[in-house]
Formats: sequence, structure tokens, C-alpha cells
Amino acid sequence: MSKTSWIPEGVKRCSGRRFALGMAAVTAVLAWGVYAMFLVWYKGLNQTNMNDAYGFALWIWADLAVIALGGGAFFTGFLTYILGQEKLKGIINYAVIIGFICYSSALLILAIDIGQPLRGWFIFWHANVHSMLTEVAFCLSCYFAVLTIEFIPLILENPRLDRVPFLHHLSHNMHGIMAVFAATGVFLSFFHQGSLGGVTGVLFGRPFGYREGIFIWPWTFFLFTWSAAACGPCFTLLITWITEKITRKTLVKPDVKQLLAKISGWMLITYIIAKIADTIYWALVTAPSMGFTLMDFYSNNPVYGIWILIAEIVVCGVVPGLILITRTGRENAFLLMLSAFLAVMGCCINRWVMVLQVMAVPLFSFNEWYMYTPSWQEVATTILPVAYGVIVISLAYRYLPVFPQERELNPAD
Amino acid sequence: MKINRRHFLSLGVGVGAGLTLSPVPWKLMDDVAIWTQNWPWTPVPEDGRVSYVRSVCTLCPGGCGIRVRKVNDRAIRIEGEKEHPINRGGLCPMGLSGLQFLYGPSRVKSPLKRLGKRGEGKWRKITWKEAVSEVGKKLSDLRENHQPHTVACIAGSDRGSLPSLISRFMTVYGSPNFIRSATAFDALEQAVYLTQGEQGRIGVDLENADFVLSFGCGLVDGWGSPGWVCRLFRRVGPKMRIVQVEPRLSDTAAQATHWIGIRPGTEGALALGLAHVMIAENLYQRDFVENLCFGFEDWTDASGNPHEGFKKTVLDRFSPQAVARVTGIPKGRIIALARAFARAQRPIAICGRGKGSLPGGIDESLAVHALNALAGNIHQPGGVSVVSDPEYAKWPELNIDQIAAEGMQHPRIDGAGSERFPHTRYLLNRLPQMINSASGEPPVQALLVADANPLYTLSDTAAVQKAFDRIPFIVSFSSYMDETAMQADLILPNHTYLERYQDVLSPKGMPYSVIGLAKPVVKPLYDTRHTGDVFIQLAKVLGGFVEQAFPWDSYKSFLKEALNDNWDTLNIKSFMEVRNEAPEPLNYTFQTASGKFEFCPVASNNQKAKDLHAASLYSLAPIEGDKQSYPLVLIPYDAIRLAGGDIANPPFVTKTVEDTVLKHDLAFVEINPETARGLGMAEGDEAMLTTPRGNARVRLHLFEGIMPGLLALPRGLGHTAYTPEWCLANKGVNVNALIGPIEDPVSGLDRGWGIRARLSRA
Amino acid sequence: MKEDTLNKRPKRFGMVIDLDRCTGCGACMVACYAENNIPFKADESNKLDSINWMRVFKITNGKPYPHTEVCYIPMMCMQCEGREGDGHAPCVSVCPAVATDYDHETGVISQIYTRCFGCRYCMAACPYHARKFNWWDPAWPADMENYLSPNVSPRMRGVVEKCSFCYHRYQLARDRAYYEGRDEIAEKEYQPACVEACPTRAITFGDLNNPGHAVHRLKNSPNAFRLLEKLHTTPKVYYLTRRTWVRRAGDNYLADEHLNTARKRIIRQQGAVK
Ligand SMILES: Nc1nc2c(c(=O)[nH]1)N[C@H]1C(S)=C(S)[C@@H](COP(=O)(O)OP(=O)(O)OC[C@H]3O[C@@H](n4cnc5c(=O)[nH]c(N)nc54)[C@H](O)[C@@H]3O)O[C@H]1N2
Ligand SMILES: Nc1nc2c(c(=O)[nH]1)N[C@H]1C(S)=C(S)[C@@H](COP(=O)(O)OP(=O)(O)OC[C@H]3O[C@@H](n4cnc5c(=O)[nH]c(N)nc54)[C@H](O)[C@@H]3O)O[C@H]1N2
Ligand code: SF4
Ligand code: SF4
Ligand code: SF4
Ligand code: SF4
Ligand code: SF4
Repeated sequence: MSKTSWIPEGVKRCSGRRFALGMAAVTAVLAWGVYAMFLVWYKGLNQTNMNDAYGFALWIWADLAVIALGGGAFFTGFLTYILGQEKLKGIINYAVIIGFICYSSALLILAIDIGQPLRGWFIFWHANVHSMLTEVAFCLSCYFAVLTIEFIPLILENPRLDRVPFLHHLSHNMHGIMAVFAATGVFLSFFHQGSLGGVTGVLFGRPFGYREGIFIWPWTFFLFTWSAAACGPCFTLLITWITEKITRKTLVKPDVKQLLAKISGWMLITYIIAKIADTIYWALVTAPSMGFTLMDFYSNNPVYGIWILIAEIVVCGVVPGLILITRTGRENAFLLMLSAFLAVMGCCINRWVMVLQVMAVPLFSFNEWYMYTPSWQEVATTILPVAYGVIVISLAYRYLPVFPQERELNPAD
Repeated sequence: MKINRRHFLSLGVGVGAGLTLSPVPWKLMDDVAIWTQNWPWTPVPEDGRVSYVRSVCTLCPGGCGIRVRKVNDRAIRIEGEKEHPINRGGLCPMGLSGLQFLYGPSRVKSPLKRLGKRGEGKWRKITWKEAVSEVGKKLSDLRENHQPHTVACIAGSDRGSLPSLISRFMTVYGSPNFIRSATAFDALEQAVYLTQGEQGRIGVDLENADFVLSFGCGLVDGWGSPGWVCRLFRRVGPKMRIVQVEPRLSDTAAQATHWIGIRPGTEGALALGLAHVMIAENLYQRDFVENLCFGFEDWTDASGNPHEGFKKTVLDRFSPQAVARVTGIPKGRIIALARAFARAQRPIAICGRGKGSLPGGIDESLAVHALNALAGNIHQPGGVSVVSDPEYAKWPELNIDQIAAEGMQHPRIDGAGSERFPHTRYLLNRLPQMINSASGEPPVQALLVADANPLYTLSDTAAVQKAFDRIPFIVSFSSYMDETAMQADLILPNHTYLERYQDVLSPKGMPYSVIGLAKPVVKPLYDTRHTGDVFIQLAKVLGGFVEQAFPWDSYKSFLKEALNDNWDTLNIKSFMEVRNEAPEPLNYTFQTASGKFEFCPVASNNQKAKDLHAASLYSLAPIEGDKQSYPLVLIPYDAIRLAGGDIANPPFVTKTVEDTVLKHDLAFVEINPETARGLGMAEGDEAMLTTPRGNARVRLHLFEGIMPGLLALPRGLGHTAYTPEWCLANKGVNVNALIGPIEDPVSGLDRGWGIRARLSRA
Repeated sequence: MKEDTLNKRPKRFGMVIDLDRCTGCGACMVACYAENNIPFKADESNKLDSINWMRVFKITNGKPYPHTEVCYIPMMCMQCEGREGDGHAPCVSVCPAVATDYDHETGVISQIYTRCFGCRYCMAACPYHARKFNWWDPAWPADMENYLSPNVSPRMRGVVEKCSFCYHRYQLARDRAYYEGRDEIAEKEYQPACVEACPTRAITFGDLNNPGHAVHRLKNSPNAFRLLEKLHTTPKVYYLTRRTWVRRAGDNYLADEHLNTARKRIIRQQGAVK
């Protein structure tokens, strides 16, 4: 009984010693982040370089970015379980793990980012239905619960745990109803990705972020969901590619990747068309009605030039989108990964401008741009989730059957 | 039963589920949230019975009425007294921060005796008995050595009962060296004395004037009584025009109807240029000038020598073209300004730069005052008058002994009242140089400082420090640990104004009289003592005639007696107002030799003043430094958000200071963008500012509103004393340290306002 | 009966600040610090982490010497009414915990410090930078805690605060009126600290709904304007000035846009200035 290995059958893993060494290095980074986190909790947000003009900064960006990129989980889940793209089962586990990491990180960052972490639950208790943040908090927590539920059966597939009959049955039954959770997750995710877009979109005091829309939802609501669906899978592909490079193995079949890439490509192209339309309407109608011209948002400051709009829309939107929708582009491994990388960057830039540039734009004719550089505590706590992610992925990869195609692709000698 | 991992796991899950379903975590969560709302280190102010005490603010000579809100024994808020004739409810930022002085960290909480070197900041607490006897012993030793005249006393004021008490003490003790800090009104008073023969407080009736021509007076920057003058700005508009003449767009200039930029130090020339236009275009008040003035036309003195009159000089030498060249103001503007001034119903011209804490040149004051004479507004509503404040009760005659009589025979150390400066009463600015230049024994053997902070406020701080180093015995009566207290051997701290009685006489410039009475709003918080009481006790230690001169048991009984019938009114209401009647026009007799307003002072016993034909003596205000090494000119400026005087900015007021004035520890020097461009410097750049008197690191603030070629630094920064918690020490630079005094040839007062300077990359 | 309904009509407290009278003295700021237990720290020169419920901004017309002009603009919470004028101020609708709310009885935007959990969303929403975060624990050196007023709770670290129109003064006045058996408080009875302290009486305060109050008349002056009106925040703080360049600086205008037409458009859209 005790002889069953912790490592799944038929796959090859590095030595325990080597693994421990690697883990130690990452844990050191993690510890640095944890130290900064406690510093912030103990001494307060004065440990950051945020200020009254920059009430939202690096962390909120990181939050928005990881949630968007974690969107690979809901969208791949949607494709796999709802649309029945069976092929994607080759990558869905990994998408869920990455999603889990992203969402747990987001929650952690939120817990650091608020001035009174011990009162954080007031957001649920005294919920204001008008607030996009309330919607975010509820959906985020619920979806995190869903992701946890989606993650558990995989954990239980660890050979040692699987030997416990109760856990074995639990796992089996959970698998059976996973489609229900996936559907719930998709619904929740659709909303909170949107709410995150709503966070800045509703700020009618901030012409750079404000968008008109329908009912209570500004256009950014839809754009955010769409872009998360487009770029999230790209992030899953990118992380898979990195994992393959590190493990020096092929873990997912190219046709699986290409299918996901193709769907992403179409999502990206349609998204970017919508985004361009949105930008044009905003530049020609919304902003001028508030007294601003497009170039007011992109001049007289050391960083935010029109290049950023071009980078986001053309370089990181149109270009990867076009590559991904063409078969030759997708089939070229380099172009595929380049496009995935660009799409991820585009999504990050979008979240960055929707948080930081919104704060930076001066609203009074007599004010200067507000510039900000994060403190080391902010950087450390932002890197903390990366280290945490590496650890979770490493543990999952080592001990769980994450990639169903691994054995087939890497037969043991 | 064997306990295996499974049991353990089940137990754990069971306990977890049980706890989650129990109220424990929810209760804990709630408690923790409540704890964050009651952090013990976030104070919860105690509530209680609310009461109000009426008093008077004495943080500046403004004399505003205040109402202090109290909760039980705590004073929690100072508000303006709405009925008070000076401020009518408004208050300046200093006055509103008064409680920070009372409860703040810079208080001296008990008598202190110096340990270690001067200025080191090491002190030993002593008892009041020790303190009084130590000072008393030093003073009586000096008297026994027949040196009472080597004791000097610097006071903030010479008006009101406490300064009178101190100066009485000095007289009976035998020292002529009672000195108070100077203000711009000293120069104005002297100009009025020379032309009108009247000595007294000058009233400028801004309330009734409809055209105020201000030569650099910082009317909203702290000039005169800020509570009163700022209040008048609510009337600025078509019915009350204010024209501000100065090289920098100060807050006063910004609020004025018109601002006229002028080269610094050429204000007197502009005044005479305006006089030229008024005379040439026949716009002056002929009735007044022809019937009540002397020296307007050419005249011949008793010995038959002909003299040139004011009119001729002004017409010959101060044409608008000539004045335009000197002042940098276009000729057309000069003419238009003169016409507007002359045609106004009740115009008034005033001078005294910034807060008015530095006197200007006498020639400049005379030139500006000549405009008032030409406008015929002397002793008229809306004009300039000499106001007499209500008299205090007479005190018992002084008997002085032989030693005191000898002491009083000695000339004053500062030279005030001497043949050279016969009309000047105090020359604090000359004291450091007199001490520094004396060979052998320094002329001051003991110095008492009350309500003054010369080590901060006098220009050329290094020289003042040197002089202080030579004085063997220094006593400070300061309530706060200021720069001068830091250099003292003994500190005998006074109560703050919210803990003591003090009469407050009408502020400078008020055209009528208002007496205020500051009262103890709270019981003294610390082991401090009223300086009046200390002097009475010192008199007792000294004994003899000195003791006899002070038959009161306390300062309060002295004050009661001094205020006489007014005590009761004042004690209840905290102020009383007395309106003087304006003399009838045209049959007014001036107290000069000619009985007229003298454009040329004939009877003055000061030869220089006698020659002081306003016009012929007018020279450009001298500026120290050579143009080659110092291509720019540095001027100080006053702002209401910085206290430039002896009391330093409290934290609240420092908090209002813009980040273009002070950023972290560096002060900004204002510079015209064009000048900065010439130097290759930009907004916010750090630079080294050098003047002939010193240098300092500064940052640059580019401001279009300052004349090209000038630099401006605010007064009120660069304090070196005060505790760190006062949030002011070592921030910015004390502009007084970069500027030297310039002695006016007639009055001996400091007429300096700027100095040549250069900026280099830091 | 009619009287009764008049008295019960909701108030909309507001301010009119005459910029032509404001000398920039800062007395209003200090009065606010003193009245509302506002803390201070060693270095207040970083204005972006300094708690000021009101700040007096200095603006210039940018013209070269000697044609330069300066104007001071005191700014506090504008007590916005939102796009529809229904109280959905930018900050109010975003607060996830209802820690800040629009009071329909007075038009004052509240701030509940013990409710706020410091997410700062309201700060991101407020275009006037009226909201200040407690980055540090407030601390009063020496015996300064003695001057703290019991009428306003000192705020703890990690929460947002802002101008309350000195709401406690309204409460005190209302209480006094109640005890004296009156339904209504007089204009003079409720005046914020900054208004009272101003030496030049540049600030007028009162009920914008009450035709008897000075603000009711002043806000309709042709020289009246509000800051960033084009954002449709609908502030209840108005400004007055005769200087066109100042009115223009109060909002953002496109290069070819005329001040007056822009203003008319806003008035049309918002159904006349309330
Ligand atoms: N300014 C002002 N004064 C008021 C009122 C008001 O609305 N505003 N309302 C009046 C009324 S009706 C009342 S009942 C009293 C209320 O009276 P108080 O409780 O005296 O006043 P608060 O300002 O609400 O809170 C004071 C302090 O109590 C703590 N505190 C506040 N809320 C909570 C809480 O929910 N839990 C815990 N544990 N601590 C808390 C915080 O540390 C806060 O600093 O005040 C009265 N006075
Ligand atoms: N969230 C919350 N709810 C409470 C209480 C509480 O402490 N917190 N207290 C309960 C108690 S004890 C009572 S008596 C009732 C009173 O409840 P109400 O009678 O409704 O409160 P009022 O005191 O009339 O205040 C109403 C409005 O005053 C404004 N306001 C109140 N306090 C402040 C403040 O400090 N600053 C600013 N700017 N505005 C303020 C807000 O616009 C608020 O909506 O409320 C009860 N409900
Ligand atoms: S003007 Fe002077 S007297 Fe009046 S409040 Fe200010 S400091 Fe006090
Ligand atoms: S107190 Fe009045 S004059 Fe002074 S800055 Fe404030 S609003 Fe302006
Ligand atoms: S000014 Fe800012 S804080 Fe005040 S109501 Fe408007 S949006 Fe809210
Ligand atoms: S910081 Fe406080 S008041 Fe502002 S939105 Fe968050 S919880 Fe509400
Ligand atoms: S109304 Fe009250 S809280 Fe608001 S700025 Fe004025 S003094 Fe401060």
C-alpha cells in the first residue's frame, strides 16, 4: 500500500533533489513577496507609491490582467464542455490550473490592496448593487469556488490519494457533474470579466475610461469579456509552451494547440474590430462631448504617447489575430507562439491603460499628468503570484496527471 | 481502536465543518472588523460641556477678536469673533491654528538653564525661584559694577502694558537700551513727523478710501492688521480700486484692480513721477497745498538763502519719460495712473513692502506721503492721519538712584535718538554691528529678549549670531523653543496668549482705536509664568528704587490699574472701540515750525532730514553686490501662508504651503521663465543660490508673474529651531540669512529689501 | 399646511465661491483642518498624500510679465448630484459597501469611516480629487490630542475621507431647532467652518432650493459656473468670476468651442442649472 508512488504512473519526472532545489529558488522569491505583503498589512498602504491621484495602480492592473489571462479556463471550459470540442480535453486541465492560479492570485492581491483588509467582507455584507466592484467581488469569489471545484478532481487523481476509496468516488462523481460547474463558471466568468471592464467604463468623471453602452453596461463590459476569451487561451498556450520548453517534452498535441489558437484568432479578430469601432466612437463622440480630443490623452507626458494605442490595437491585436486565423501562421510553431505572446501583451496593455492611464490623465486644464512608479513592496507583491504560480504548476505537473496526452507523446523507454 | 490517518482526517473535517457552522468565525470576523474601527492608537476625543471664551489673538499685532470653543477644560477650536470691529469673524490661517501653539510640541514647559555649549539644545529644568534669583543676581551685579547700561532688552513691541512695564523696569534699573523690532510704520511715522510735526500712530483709512495706491504693501500678504486689511478686499471692485505697484505678482497684486510691475527699489521715483503729472496737469488739491503746505514753491530761509521748492524739483527731474526709464513702467501708464489717482474721490497712497516688517527708506516714505498731501487727504476720511489711542492710567512717578541716573546718561548702543538719528527711537538692525565692531568688552553684557526672535528675523543671520556669541548673558522669555531661545543661557517661558492676560492696542494702520484684552482661555498647561510677573519679581530681587517702582503684587493687578475704568468692559467683551473725530479741513494747524505741512522739513534738528528735500535727496534704493558676479537680484516676499516674523508657522499653516514654494526640504526660488531659459534651467531644477552674504540650495519655480532678472524667496522658511514635530525646522532657507541690512542715512533703519545674487547648477 | 410642506421640502445645500474675492489666504483650509480633526505629518509637501478636505489651487493665465494674472480656486467635495441629478454622484454609485451615500434630505454626500474598507474606487471615480486616503495612522504630537473636537471622529488608517460640508454643524443646528420647537433652521444657523473663517467672505453657503438663501440667487449669475460641468457630475459648488479666462479654465473646451455655447449646451442637457 505505502509503495504506491506519489508520482503518476508512466511519466518521467526529475529527481526529488533537483525538484527541491528548484522549489527552494522559487520559494525564496515567494518569501520576498510574502515579506512585502506582511509589511503592507502591518504598516499600511503607505508602503506603496500610490497616492490620492493614483488610488488604483499596479495591483489593480495585475488583478485585471491575471483575471483576463485566467479567462483561458472559462473559455476553454466553454468550448470543451458546452460546445463539445472533445479535442480540447488535452489542455483543459492545464487551463483550469492556470485559471485557478490567476483567480487565487487576484483575490490575494485584492486582500493586500484594500486599506482595511479586515473589513474586506463589508463588500458582501453591505453590498451596493450599483457598484461594478460589488459585481466583481461576488462573481470573482463564486467563480474561484467553481475553479476550486474543477481543480479538486484532478488533485484527487494523484495515485496516492486515488487509493483512498472515498476520495476515489468523490473524484469520479465530480467528474460526472463537471459540465454543470463548467457552465456555471462560464456564466459567472462572463459577468465578472465584464464587470471588470465596467469598473473603469462607468467612471463618467474619467473621460479616458468612460464609455457609453447599453442599460447599465458600458461597452468596455463587453470588450473585456471578449478580450479575455480571446487572450486567455493564448495565455494557456503560452504557459504550455513554456512548460514544454522547461520539461523538454511535448505535452499537448499540436492539433489541440492549433484548434485553440484558431478559435482564439477569430475571437481576437472580431474583438479587435469591435475595439477599433469603440475607439473611433470614443475619439470622435464621447471624449469631445466631455471637452477632450484624442491627442489630449496621448501628449504632454513622458510615457503615454499614441504609440501605446497602436501597440495595443495593431501590433498586439490585428497582427496576431491575422496570423492565428491563417492556417500557415498557426502551423508555424514560432509564429503561433509569437502571436500568442503578442495577444497576451495586448491584453496586458489594455488593462494597463484602463487602470493607470485613466488615473494619469489630467482633468483640469491647469493640472499636469500624474506619473507614478511602483515601490519595491508593490513590485514584490506583484511578483509573489508569479512565484506562487510556478510552485503550483510545478507541484501539479509533478504529482498530477495534468496532461492526458503526455504518456502517449513521451513513451517511457 | 487504532487511530489511523483516516480517523485523523475525518476528525479534522468534522471540527472544521462544526466550527464553520458555529457562530465562532463569524463573531470573530465581526470583532476583528470592529477592532479596526476602534484602534486604540486612533484617539476618540472626549465629549463634555461646551463653552465659549472671547479673547484676542496676539500671534501678530493684528489684534483680531476670537471666540474659543471649549469642551470641559479643553480648548478645541478658535473661531473669529463676529462682532469684533477688526476682523468681523474672519481670521487668518495663523490665528485659526492658535491651539497648535498652545498644545504643540515646541512649548518651553518650565524654566530652563543651559547645559553644554550655546545652541546645543541641552537644558536643565530649574525652578522659578532659581531662575528669578539667577537673573536677579546677574542684574544686580552689573548694577553694582556701575554697568546697568550694558543690559539691553529686545521686545517685540513698545505699545501696551507689558512693554511699558519692561521699559519702566529698564529705566529705573538704569539702562537706556530698551529696543523693539522695527516695522515699515517706523519709516512712515518718521515721514509724517518730518512733514507734519506729529508723533504717533499712523492711521491709513483704507475703509473709506476709494482708490488705494499701494507701493508694494502686501495688503493680503500680512500687512498691518491682516484680519482687518484682508477683510477690506471683499469691497474691491468699481467702488474701491486698488493699484498694486511691485516687481512680482504677489497675492495682493493678483487681487488688486491693477498691478503695475516695477523695478525693485524705484518706487520712490514713481511716486515723484506721479507727483509730476499731478502738478503739471493741475490735478492736486490746490486748497490744501496753497493754504496748508510749506516748501511746495521755491522759498527763502531766514538767513536769506534761496531754496528750490518741491514743485520745481519734481517738474525738472521727474518727468514721466525720466521715471519710465528708471522704473521700467511705460510713460503712458504713469500718466494714466496719476490721473486716476488724482481724480478719485478719496485716494490714498501707502508704502511698506510685504508684511511691512521692514522699514523702507525715509525718502521713499516722504515721496509717497507727498502724494497724500497733493491729494489733500491728510487727516481726512479715507486718508492718512495720526491717531491717539486712549490713555492708560498714570503710574506712580519714578524715583531713580545715582547708578540708574548714570546709566541712563549713556547713549543708546543702537544709536537711536543720537545726533545722527534723532527721530528714530529704536534701531535693532544696528545692534549686531555695534556689538561686533566694539573692541574689547562687548557693549552688551546681558540681553533680555521678550516677544522677539532676532536670530531669525534680522537680516544677515551670521552677523547676528556673531554678535550673540559675544554677549555673555542672554535670557529669553519665549514660550516656544525658537532660534533666539536656543541661544539663551536661561529661558523663563511666558504663558502663551491663550493662558495669560494681555492688552492689545489698535494695530498698525487702523484709522481708529480698538483696545483688546486677551484672557486666559485655559489654565496654564505647564510650569510657565507671565513675563510681567517675572519683571515684578525681578524688581523685588533688585530692591531699592527698582522695587519701589513696582508696587503691584502681580501683572494682573498692574494691568487692572492701567486699564482703569475699561477693565470691566474689556474683561467681559474683550474689546472696545474708540472713534476719533476727524479734524475740520483747511483750518488745521500742523505742529511743524511753519505750522504747515512741510514738503521740505525746515525745523528738523537733523541736518540730513533738513536737507531732505523729498525730491533732491531721492536716490534709488541701494542694492548690495556687484553686477558682474551677481547678475540677478534676489528679493524676499511675504505670503500669508508663511509666518515670516518671530513666531514660526504652526503645522496647519505649513500644510497649506504649495508644493511650488516648498517641496520636502527645499524651498523654491521664483524666477521668470525667460530668465530661467537664459540660464538653461527648468521648472523644479535644483540650483545653488549665492549672494554676497551667503548661499543656499534651492529649487526653481518658473512664474511668469515675476520681473525677468529677479529671484524671489519667501520669508518664513529655513527655521533651525523648533522641535521636529513642529514640522518646520530645516525646511527651505531663511532668506534673511542671504540678505544684509542697508542703513537708511536719515533714520538709520534697515531699508534693504533685496540683494544681488546668482544661480548656478547644484 | 402649505408652510409645512415648504419646510419639509428636501434641502440641497450648496456653495457659491466668488473667485474675484478669494485672496488665496488659505484660512478656509486651516479652518477645515481645525474643525474636522484633520491630521498632519512631518512633510506635507507631497500634495498627493496630504489630507486636505479643501485645497486652494493657484492658476495663472499663462501670459508673460507683466500681463500675468493669478486666480485662486478653493476646491472641496462638490457634493455632486450625478448625471441625472438623482444623487448618483461619481463616487456614490461605485462604492461597493455603501460607505459613502447621497442624502436626499440635504444633498450632502456622506462618508462613513467605519464602513469604508479602503478600496479607493471612489477616489478613482471622483474627477475633483476631493477624496483623500489615510495612507498613515493619524498622530498628534505632544498634547495636541487635547484640541480634537468631539463632533467629528478622527479617522483611522486605511479609509477614505472628504469634505462633509461640516455636516455635524447641520446636525447641531437641527438639534437646536428641534429643542426650541422649530421646524426649520435659519440660513445663518448652519454655515461650514471654511465659510465662516474666510476674511473676504468669498464663500456663500446655503440651501440652493430655498429662494430666501443667498446662494439661490448667486448661482444664477451670468458669471456663475461649475468645475468640469461637461462631465455631468452636477456639482452643488458654484464659482463666480468676471474673468473669462478663469471660467474657461474651469472646464475643458475644444479649440473651436465657445465658452457660452458650450455652457448653453450643458444647461440644455441638464435641464437648466438647478
Ligand atoms: N458627527 C456626528 N455626530 C453624531 C451623529 C452623526 O451622525 N454625526 N449621530 C449622533 C447619533 S444619532 C449617535 S447614536 C451617535 C453615535 O455616536 P458615536 O459612536 O460616538 O460616533 P461615531 O462617529 O459613529 O463613532 C465614534 C467612534 O466609535 C467607533 N465606532 C463607530 N462605529 C462603530 C461600530 O460600528 N462599531 C464599533 N465597535 N465602533 C464604532 C469608531 O472608532 C469611531 O471613531 O453620534 C451622534 N453624534
Ligand atoms: N451605516 C450606518 N447606519 C446607521 C448608523 C451608523 O452608524 N452607520 N447609525 C444608526 C443610528 S444610531 C442612527 S440614529 C441612524 C441615523 O440615521 P439617519 O437619521 O438617517 O441619519 P442622519 O443622522 O439623519 O443622517 C442622514 C445623512 O446624514 C449624512 N451624514 C451623516 N453623517 C455624516 C458625516 O459624518 N459626514 C457627512 N458628510 N454626512 C453625514 C448622510 O448624508 C446621511 O445619509 O442611523 C442608523 N444607521
Ligand atoms: S491676523 Fe494676526 S491677530 Fe488676526 S488672527 Fe491672524 S495672527 Fe491673529
Ligand atoms: S479663506 Fe476665503 S479668501 Fe482665503 S483662500 Fe479661502 S476662500 Fe479664498
Ligand atoms: S466631488 Fe468627488 S467626492 Fe464629492 S461628490 Fe463629487 S465625485 Fe463624490
Ligand atoms: S474606499 Fe471606502 S468609500 Fe471609497 S469606494 Fe471603497 S469602501 Fe467606498
Ligand atoms: S464645508 Fe466644512 S468640511 Fe467642507 S471644506 Fe469647508 S470646512 Fe471643510
